[in-house]
Amino acid sequence: MATILGRATEIGGVSRAARRSYSWVREIPLVPLLLVTVLVLVAVLAPVLAPHSHLDPVKPTPGQCQAKYGMADCPYVDNMPPFWFSQGTFATPLGTDYLGRDLLSRLMYGARISLVVALTGTLFAGAIGTLLGVLAGYMGKWWDQIIMRVTDAWLTLPSLVFAILLSSVRGPGLWNIVLILALVFWSRYSRAVRGEVLALREREFVRLAEINGVGKLKIIRRHLIPNVMNTVMVLFSLQVGVAVIIEASLSFLGVGVPPPEPSWGLMMAQERESLMQGKWWLAVFPGICITMLVLSANMLGDWLRVRLDPQLRNR
Amino acid sequence: MRKYVLLRGFYSLVTLWLLVTIIFAMVRLTGDPVAMKGEIGADATYLERIKHDWGLDQPVYWQYTGFIGNLLKGDFGHSFEKSLPVRDIYFERLPNSLKLGFAAFVISLALGVPFGMLSALKVNTWWDNAGKMIALLGLSMPGFFVGLVLIIIFGVQLGWLPVLGKGSSAFVWSNPATWAPFWFRDWPHLAMPAFALGWYFSGAMLRITRSGMLDVLGSDYIKLVRLKGVPERMVVAKHALKNSLIPVLTFAGLNLLIMVNVAVVIEVIFNWPGVGQLLYDGLSNRDFPMVQGVVLMSGLMIVMLNFVIDVLYGYVDPRIRLSR
Amino acid sequence: MTRRTGIKGLLALTVALALVAAAGEAAAQKGGQTPILSGPLVKLDIKEAQIETARGKPKGTFRIAQHFALDPGWLDPLEHIFALTMQTYDYLVHDALIKPMPQGEATYSLAEHAELAADFRRAAFRLRPGLKFHDGQPLSTADVKWTYENYKGAHAKLFRDKLEHIQIVDDRTIVFHFKEPFLEFMDLYNGAVSGIGWIVPKHYYEKVGRDGFKAKPIGAGPYKFVSQQAGVQMDFEAWEEYWRRTPAAKTIVVKGIRDNAARLAGLQTGELDLAFGMTGKVLPQVMADKNLRWVPNFTSVWHLAFPGYNEPDSPFHDKRVRQAVSLAINREFLVRQETQGVGKVWGNWISPENRDALKGDGKDLPLPEHNIAKAKQALAQTKFPNGFEFEWFVPFVPYFDMGERILTDLRAVGIRGKLQSLEGPAFRAKMGQGRKGFPGNRTIVQNIDPRPGGAKATIGVYAVCGSPASIVCEPQIEELWTKHEASKNLDERDRLNKAIQKILVEEYYMVPIYWNPFVHAIGPRVLPEGKGIERYYDTLHAPYPWPWEVWEVRADR
Repeated sequence: MATILGRATEIGGVSRAARRSYSWVREIPLVPLLLVTVLVLVAVLAPVLAPHSHLDPVKPTPGQCQAKYGMADCPYVDNMPPFWFSQGTFATPLGTDYLGRDLLSRLMYGARISLVVALTGTLFAGAIGTLLGVLAGYMGKWWDQIIMRVTDAWLTLPSLVFAILLSSVRGPGLWNIVLILALVFWSRYSRAVRGEVLALREREFVRLAEINGVGKLKIIRRHLIPNVMNTVMVLFSLQVGVAVIIEASLSFLGVGVPPPEPSWGLMMAQERESLMQGKWWLAVFPGICITMLVLSANMLGDWLRVRLDPQLRNR
Repeated sequence: MRKYVLLRGFYSLVTLWLLVTIIFAMVRLTGDPVAMKGEIGADATYLERIKHDWGLDQPVYWQYTGFIGNLLKGDFGHSFEKSLPVRDIYFERLPNSLKLGFAAFVISLALGVPFGMLSALKVNTWWDNAGKMIALLGLSMPGFFVGLVLIIIFGVQLGWLPVLGKGSSAFVWSNPATWAPFWFRDWPHLAMPAFALGWYFSGAMLRITRSGMLDVLGSDYIKLVRLKGVPERMVVAKHALKNSLIPVLTFAGLNLLIMVNVAVVIEVIFNWPGVGQLLYDGLSNRDFPMVQGVVLMSGLMIVMLNFVIDVLYGYVDPRIRLSR
Repeated sequence: MTRRTGIKGLLALTVALALVAAAGEAAAQKGGQTPILSGPLVKLDIKEAQIETARGKPKGTFRIAQHFALDPGWLDPLEHIFALTMQTYDYLVHDALIKPMPQGEATYSLAEHAELAADFRRAAFRLRPGLKFHDGQPLSTADVKWTYENYKGAHAKLFRDKLEHIQIVDDRTIVFHFKEPFLEFMDLYNGAVSGIGWIVPKHYYEKVGRDGFKAKPIGAGPYKFVSQQAGVQMDFEAWEEYWRRTPAAKTIVVKGIRDNAARLAGLQTGELDLAFGMTGKVLPQVMADKNLRWVPNFTSVWHLAFPGYNEPDSPFHDKRVRQAVSLAINREFLVRQETQGVGKVWGNWISPENRDALKGDGKDLPLPEHNIAKAKQALAQTKFPNGFEFEWFVPFVPYFDMGERILTDLRAVGIRGKLQSLEGPAFRAKMGQGRKGFPGNRTIVQNIDPRPGGAKATIGVYAVCGSPASIVCEPQIEELWTKHEASKNLDERDRLNKAIQKILVEEYYMVPIYWNPFVHAIGPRVLPEGKGIERYYDTLHAPYPWPWEVWEVRADR
């Protein structure tokens, strides 16, 4: 692998010198990286960090019950405002939802759902798409025709429409969403990867390997797949953001992650009525979380794209 | 050239056929639509009759050939849930979707193109960074979030704009008197959904404009114009702008179609009676013909547009038509 | 409304109860009506129509929001199945020979006289003189016959199988002859129960066909259909020649708006005058808004059911688990959160609007208890001392918030599950298949059913093995039910019926929650001002406030 790279210094667009010099470290976009790190940490450490359960109501004090319902005891106090309002407390910093559950804890667990679904979904899509793309590009002939026609037909369907259609086949559920994302997005990879492979196929090192009698499978594994990885990486990073939005949209429409799990999209859908009452924070905080996650994923993706494609460096 | 057009046309047909087949199969996996009509405690004979009426008692291959045959005649079947021909309902809703799509399209152009140009002209400055940031924000905020924020601010807090429906104006095909007024009335109803939808696409628009403009500004042609001593303002306004808008407009056409077809979430939030809402209703009610109809129409539009773009590109750039 | 329920109960003498054979004396039935049939007749309890002689002028536009998408199929009675939503639209465009009205469950409408032979093999109707359809064509017995023969909706097979022939005596008199005694005929022919009683114009239907009729129906009802956008909006206009009275509102516009918040916003901005289903998070706002009025409109009782409970590997197989579920629900607090305290905690799962239902307020059946400690104790004796994970909690659409509240209550004793939010038709489809609609036996369903026809009808749908929608299937109940069906003694039937209700609740096959107010919110343009609007809600068993011709609104400015 190293020798191949050495010979073709510009594969993937990054010169070997540039790789070695690590000058790119200085260009790392710190803000999005920090955001992503924080979100990932929050997601992983949610059970430790979250002040309350994300599924059970926060146990209220008798004083709170008295103030809200005029009762000495109550199972929960709904719609507590965030701490900066006069009725808010620091025990539930962002307030509680309509079931008296702590909004902050739910947002933290929500990060888990968003990240798990988006990352695994995109990963599966990438795997399927790359494989089919390589097959189409390298095997050519009927492989190419069949795979590419299906890909074209697949690409014709707008992704959200397609995702909703699939969700009604599979029903709600976290792993179903992962499956849906994989099924929706693979075609984007296969398209790009095939183009890349068509060019690689004509390159000397592939030709040489073929002349030396290396098996097709081995060529695909050793020479083609490693060399399309840059493209796949860029697509992956850009697709993650879209996947987060699709998951949120499906959950928002009630066909995604089932309650009581706190998906951000679902939380927004559930609090639309509270929004009308002026309790904006219940719907706006999940919205901000989605935006932050997608924004940082997109910024990292952009940065990666520019890194791996020198023609775009000044764009 | 002729061969190229024919081949592209053939590919488009194959794509459409595959699309039809995929949709047909997938829709049939979603569950039994007859049960959807069966109220709790309904007769078994009633359900049998519905099954027969909808042709669901026939073998699948027969349903499939019948489906294709009817499609060729332009017949999408009867909506299970809405009891009328799918075609009638679809075309009744389409003007609403087009109205929303056009408005969103205009907004995305109005936001995307000027900022994209500004960003390209002041490349790597504060302006450019702001532009990039706006574009990313546009792409990163889900439409329904923008929609909800708009509702909070303009619908609830300020009370300036109505929050539901499309207003009273309707486009009635059989009544030409409604054709023109439809587009010019009830703008307050249109404002929020159009902005929520257009916002997302304005980010993409900004990026395309910016990169198109950078390409043109870096070209030999512009360098030549500059060398001739044409003032910079004229360079931009007359030469660069004109040339950089071609890719923008190509892309914009596709965007318009996508907007018409993916506005599902926005239409649901704002209760906008467009094609997207029709699709959403259809899916939740297992209304096979409705879903097939809507998805196929959107597919048809996109395949046709892609075909036109391919042919035009082939016409403009001989390398493309020879490479395949 | 609450106060009125008592009166309603008194009025609730349905046709079925009144089917007491009274020999002879046919002519004495009603003053001035010559008998149609010869021989002994059944004494029918059909109320006289209230005809308003002063013909007013319709005014104003009345805008209604349905809480789901509108189906043009609702406008065609020939294809109706039992769904009270469809009948709501019949009350606009069409009219029936007899139909439920505020006066009683059966009230003369197009017919002014009806007879049923004591052997239940002949039924006769005499139409009012001078009836017309919206297009001016006369409505005659030929249309009645044609509607019967072309009806395809619920019970169509029964109607067809029983019929021998239809005899048209003259333009106004028609006799149905049956092959065998048709005991339920008058019940089923009544407007709210099936579509067959609503008369469709033969000449028009044959001209425009099935689709044409659904796209633009005409009938003999108080409102003429004007136009529709499928799924979104329907427009109707007052038909001033309606026989009973001039409709009060000039125009009726119905919109399908799924989102609660959007319906509320529409009421507040004056874009709507009447919105259905306003409980949950929007109710406090409706109550707080000085411009809006609301009507509790009690319908039926929320309850939980456990499809598949009778399979041994179901966690709900054990009665104590079902008991723990019941004990874990904090009904008082739920009523407060969902209905602002309007709903009533109730001990029977069948609506008290049914005269044969046991009262669940402690009189016949005790009020259900909320007791976490007891629930845990009950669970401790089972295989699941620390609770368990079931699969789906399926709430009635669109009461997802309420479902999640109950689900959260169950978590307190360790019974954990996920919420399945379906769409209306998908939910009804699953319920329609009963046990088979919910694969696996780890599901809890939250249902409500405001079904007319008494408690026996509700039991016959859910709690009997032979029903397609059967959820409960118990030998003990089956035995009582067979006796019930065979019995011709009304007292015995009543006793058996109540015994079944008692078993269903005491064995926790059905877990009642509370008597639901299906709150309707009404805007300021609806007349009369203040509490007077409650008179629109007098019709028994009507989740929607029909008839529509009485609704008055302010004139448009």
